[in-house]
Amino acid sequence: MLIFTAIFLGYISMSPDMNIESLKGVLVIGVTVGIIYGLVAVGISLIYTGLDVVNFSHGEFFMIGAFTGLTVYNFLVDGELIYAIFPEAYGVVGYVIGLFFAFVLMGLFGVLIERIFLRPLTKKGGGYTVAGMGIIICGFGLSVILQNIAYLIWNPTAHPFHADLGLPINIAGITLPMTYLWMLVTGFVVAGLLYFFLNKTKMGLGVRAVAFSKDISNLVGINVPLYISIIFGIACALAGIAGTLVGPTYQVVVYMGYIILLKAFASAVVGGFGSLPGAIVGGFTVGLFETACSFFISGSHKDAYAFLLMVVVLLIKPTGFFGVAVKMKA
Amino acid sequence: MLKINGLVSGYGTVQILNGANMKVDTQSIVALLGGNGTGKSTILKACSGLIRAWSGSINFDGQEIHNNPPHKIVERGLVQVTQGKDVFPAMSVIENLRLGGFVLNSKQKLNNNLEKVFNYFPRLNERKNQLAATLSGGELQMLCIGRGLMSDPKMIMLDEPSAALAPQIVLDIFKNINRIRKDGLTVLVVEQNVRMALLLADYGYVIKDGVIKVEGESKKLMYDESVKDSYLGGGGTTANV
Repeated sequence: MLIFTAIFLGYISMSPDMNIESLKGVLVIGVTVGIIYGLVAVGISLIYTGLDVVNFSHGEFFMIGAFTGLTVYNFLVDGELIYAIFPEAYGVVGYVIGLFFAFVLMGLFGVLIERIFLRPLTKKGGGYTVAGMGIIICGFGLSVILQNIAYLIWNPTAHPFHADLGLPINIAGITLPMTYLWMLVTGFVVAGLLYFFLNKTKMGLGVRAVAFSKDISNLVGINVPLYISIIFGIACALAGIAGTLVGPTYQVVVYMGYIILLKAFASAVVGGFGSLPGAIVGGFTVGLFETACSFFISGSHKDAYAFLLMVVVLLIKPTGFFGVAVKMKA
Repeated sequence: MLKINGLVSGYGTVQILNGANMKVDTQSIVALLGGNGTGKSTILKACSGLIRAWSGSINFDGQEIHNNPPHKIVERGLVQVTQGKDVFPAMSVIENLRLGGFVLNSKQKLNNNLEKVFNYFPRLNERKNQLAATLSGGELQMLCIGRGLMSDPKMIMLDEPSAALAPQIVLDIFKNINRIRKDGLTVLVVEQNVRMALLLADYGYVIKDGVIKVEGESKKLMYDESVKDSYLGGGGTTANV
């Protein structure tokens, strides 16, 4: 691992673009992209630990979340009301409301999907562990269905997300668009709230208990089916808010979920599959590595770097950074 | 307190229990004995709602509970205490105990119960901020029992509290179980360690092939040859641990 890092750092330090300014830029952009990967990866890890399945439709929740944020934002900003109340900061207010709706609606949508599609499957299969393979295939199917539904509602063209958040600001010599700042700050706030929720609240304690063992959780009196829905809901809400955060920087389009799913997957694997701090750290690692490579080496292979990193990490440390030994399946 | 009538159950399509009948009186300690694969743990799982009863009934505190989901049964006051390895290893001792009181709604009660548990097992108080993974086998068993007591149960069911523990520690844990009973709880203990269990219990049941084969006062069962027979499938002396 160290050797790989040394070679990588050596290589990029010899790049002709290397200077302190570009390094700062790469660092900020990398962390910003990383926190987004991290949020989606945390959702994937949560679902994996709680339901013992890998949710391959997670990218679609990200995509629909972005569309939800966009729709809410456009609805508010097109109306007169928000100008009347907040003439100065209508964009920011609209965006915050959009983020909120993306979070809440995707959470509810996730619970609905879990109850309608996944729950009956697991009942037939005799529990989440046994039905794993079926649910994985179902995840792919769900992904296609959700994409097509989004296609019907929002049509296949790319939607620009003109969030009016103000002019780019200058921090420590780097000019940063406001959308990046929002991603960075909101990403960290959401991750912090998630940490607080999991470690300091009773419901978070229950979520962690159910994630570890459904049998023991049953015996201490936790309503396990309810908590499985909560876990799925939280994971989808995180993906939804990440979608709305990314929206203004790029574009909102029906197939945007596919690549983020794979990147988040790579992040989760790099950090240690199933570990929540690992997912965030993995997100940063993938984000920084990807940004650095596309800046110093070549931007045209941007999407390949994440998987290169994943393969290297898997070769060196198969459990990832924070990985625990693979859970025994009964 | 607990009445099991003609209980038939199993896993998937495999039937384990073939009509078991049992009764546990209020404030008594009852031992359920049997070898491996006779259905002891299956009875406990059916009582705590982890598996369905196919037919027959389970009556707890005057109410039928065999159709309730597990968390409702805990709310009613019937708690199963698992073997010591079934803790949350990545959580601290105090978090494990808090989880035991998950069904409680008031913080005041939770703290009272914590104190009660620390009173039974002072060792847990010393180690309350350690991760459960770092505890010894005996401490883990104490933690499991403590976690069971956290929800203010009327009755606890212990699944092999002596498994893989040194005799001295088993004695200590059994003393505490007796103390718990004296404080007003009803106890059902499932054991492979026949001698120890019968010393502790007032009444005993011996299960074989999914039905109760022998039952009686533990003092009588201790000298009953048929217990040895059904326990070991005839002959042998290793049951006298």
